[in-house]
Amino acid sequence: MRGDVDPRELLGMADRLLRRADPATAGLWPRASALLALQALEATLLRLWKRRALDLQACSMRTQLICLRSYLDDARLAARAGHAWSALSRACHHHPYELAPTSGELQSWFSVVSELARGIGLSPEAPTPGGRSPVRPATAP
Amino acid sequence: MDPSVRSLVVSRLEADGSVDDTWVGLVLAALEGQVALEAALSGGDAAPRAGAARTSPARAGAFLRSIAVEGFRGIGPLQTLDLRPGPGLTLVVGRNGSGKSSLAEGLEVLLTGDSLRWKERAAVWREGWRNLHHPTASLRATFLVEGARGPCVVSRRWEPEAAFEAGVATAQIHDEAASDVGSLGWTPALRTHRPFLSYNELGSLLDEGPSKLYDALSSILGLEDLVEALGGLQEARRSREKALKEATDARGRLVEGLRDVADERARRVLEAVEGKEWDLAAVGEVLGGTVSAGAPAAELDVLRGIASLEPPDPARVAAAVAEMREAGTAVRSAQETAAARSRDAAALLESALRFHAVHGDGDCPVCGGRGALDGAWSARQKAAVPRLREAAREMDAVHQRAEGARRQWEGLVPLRADALTRASDVGLDLGELTLALSTWVKAGSITDLGALAEHVEAASGPLREAIVRLRDAARAELGRREDAWRRSAVEVVAWLKTAREAVRGAGDLKRLKSAEAWLKKAAAGIRDDRFAPIAEKAAGIWEHLRQQSHVQLGKIQLTGEGTRRRVALDVTVDGVEGAALGVMSQGELHSLALSLFVPRATLPESPFRFIVIDDPVQSMDPARVDGLARVLEGAAADRQVVVFTHDDRLPEAVRRLDIPAEIIEVTRRDASVVELRRALDPVGRYLEDALAVAGTADLPSSAAARVVPGLCRLGLEAACMEVVRRRRLGRGEPHAEVERALGGAGQLLRLLALALFDDVERGGEVPSHLRREAGPPLAEAFRQCDEEAHEIQPAAALELVRQAGKLTAWVRGLS
Repeated sequence: MRGDVDPRELLGMADRLLRRADPATAGLWPRASALLALQALEATLLRLWKRRALDLQACSMRTQLICLRSYLDDARLAARAGHAWSALSRACHHHPYELAPTSGELQSWFSVVSELARGIGLSPEAPTPGGRSPVRPATAP
Repeated sequence: MDPSVRSLVVSRLEADGSVDDTWVGLVLAALEGQVALEAALSGGDAAPRAGAARTSPARAGAFLRSIAVEGFRGIGPLQTLDLRPGPGLTLVVGRNGSGKSSLAEGLEVLLTGDSLRWKERAAVWREGWRNLHHPTASLRATFLVEGARGPCVVSRRWEPEAAFEAGVATAQIHDEAASDVGSLGWTPALRTHRPFLSYNELGSLLDEGPSKLYDALSSILGLEDLVEALGGLQEARRSREKALKEATDARGRLVEGLRDVADERARRVLEAVEGKEWDLAAVGEVLGGTVSAGAPAAELDVLRGIASLEPPDPARVAAAVAEMREAGTAVRSAQETAAARSRDAAALLESALRFHAVHGDGDCPVCGGRGALDGAWSARQKAAVPRLREAAREMDAVHQRAEGARRQWEGLVPLRADALTRASDVGLDLGELTLALSTWVKAGSITDLGALAEHVEAASGPLREAIVRLRDAARAELGRREDAWRRSAVEVVAWLKTAREAVRGAGDLKRLKSAEAWLKKAAAGIRDDRFAPIAEKAAGIWEHLRQQSHVQLGKIQLTGEGTRRRVALDVTVDGVEGAALGVMSQGELHSLALSLFVPRATLPESPFRFIVIDDPVQSMDPARVDGLARVLEGAAADRQVVVFTHDDRLPEAVRRLDIPAEIIEVTRRDASVVELRRALDPVGRYLEDALAVAGTADLPSSAAARVVPGLCRLGLEAACMEVVRRRRLGRGEPHAEVERALGGAGQLLRLLALALFDDVERGGEVPSHLRREAGPPLAEAFRQCDEEAHEIQPAAALELVRQAGKLTAWVRGLS
């Protein structure tokens, strides 16, 4: 069921959800954009494995993130990607008493996903024709 | 003056049987204020009662209808929190930094012009009050108040760039004229029944020490008037004691100084003030220069008498001497003239005529001529006598002149005997003058004018010298005494003024002390009576909040006064008494603070029917949060309770305990855009979100297809947790264990196993169990939610939300 979706497109949608105040998405954008960003992160890794290590795409995310270190020049980026994944994943599950992530938290995770995409050789611009939201490397709040 | 406090005092006075005591007037006057007390002390009992300043009655029964904040702290564009004006519980939930506290602070700043939590912070904190993303700043709240036909709107706005303090606040009640916030009459109640409680404030109140806590609690009792009255009496007593002590000390210095002043007045002042009782009237007389009747002749009068002595004038002496000499010469030369003979002959003839008239005619007794004295002789001589007298008159004038000249010496020295007799009393030497005088007065026994002239001429010189010397000595002494006295007199005048006041005040001391002692005791009694119901309520709240705490709270009392005032908390740990606050955890301390302050904020006297609590759950464990939810439920029965909280613990407890509450979520986007929305329970919220995403035209359908399954899964997870928590807490498991079980479950499959079988390890049975018990469509919905891929066909999104809704309802129906 895993479609080959462009991670930059997913991240663009997440970012738009976060930044554009819209009554239709008021209040729901934190979870929704977290869901999209998580998928963007996972799709980015999928792109990497397709080019470099086909076997890995079937492994658990935990394994994929551990192996990521060996395929990236930047070990720190690999670690940050691991952290962003677990944080996004946490936001995509219900935890007792926890509220949705803040926009600042989301932006910092988005920037990790965006960096990772660049790190594996994806250009920052999404190739989609109507894509009006380039993934901006969000600055930390 | 609170009339109820006054009547409390009066009834206590009556109960004590003290109404007629002399100090009672002072107690009552002290309750009217310092001015009235001083008036009563100075004898006037007409204390100005009617004109006492009275604040306008507070607008009572205020409920909050909305809070609107713009450009303030974390909130940029205008955001309005709408509330249901009436009793009930509202939870405003938002992550830290979401802007929820800005709403709470905004309300506080709006009403009080300041924020307590800023007061203790650095200036930089205060300077950050403006929102950087928004140029204009304003706060606005709408209240419903009793007796008004429409809402009451309070607003505070700032000009662009204006400082925090420069905000302009107005209050407008429906159809009434706009006025300032003070016109609402809320100012005292904002302090005494403070309707805002924040986490920081609750923490600091117990940290700041027992006297601060005392002040915070005692202010609700409305007994400031008593404290002030007591302070007034103390002040009146202390000022009088101080004045008396100062006058006594000054008297000591004055006496020291006066001892060395050789002055009669100084001595009189000393006599007046040396005793225990000062004779201030006598001191006043000395200063005024008047001498009381019967006082011995003042030395100064003696000195002044001597100082004014006139010595014999040399010119007059010379003139007198010359006259004596001339008169003497005139007498001598007249004796040798016919006038002298005629005078003597006339005297002889008059004598002979008297002899003849008595003895009749006869021989002459002088010459012996026979029958010489007869009628013819008599007639002849009688005619001769006037002629002789006429001739002798010149001689008489000479003799009269001589007599006048002789007497002149007596008038040359007019001595004042009364002054001289006391001269030795004032330390003057009279020896020389006495000698000179004794010589001088010999003049009285000299008959010969020439000799007299000699004597007067010789004796007048030494006499004049003696008098001048004595007079000058007296003048010098007088001058010396005047100088010394003048210096002392300035001090005496100054002292007399303070002494008069001190003595006047000292007369009131006894009454003041009695009044003070009585009022002190009465105030403590009234305070205890008033605090008792609050203490009781606080103990009740603590019982809710303490949960598994080992700390038991006994009696709460306000004790002591002045710098020793404190709140005595009878804290028992595991039955051990006398434990200090130090044994309590942070969460327990906050609970304790809440226990004390919720009763304070919800007293019937408060004009506010709302309380706003900011983040009370921060350091509470889940069990205590349940207790808090119960406390809030109790308060919300007749109060509007608005609670701001940073996580879902309190909302969860409120939902699980089935406490009616409205829950509002706050989220904050970029550029301080804050969004508010009414929240359902988490399950409903996730499904509603999923529906919104599936239905929105704004989001690409590919995005919706990717987000919807995730949101449905969140809803399903929340439903599982709700069921597990309800079930396990229901059978008495401790909160902590339940939370551990939920936290350890992880994936949806394991959570469902926990919800279905109460066993996290039976995930394998979940799909078939769902197919069998809930039906294939719901089992399929579960599969889609649980899919790793998180993606479905866009067209199927709406259907998935529908099925997921059914599935969560089915899960929540599990027992």
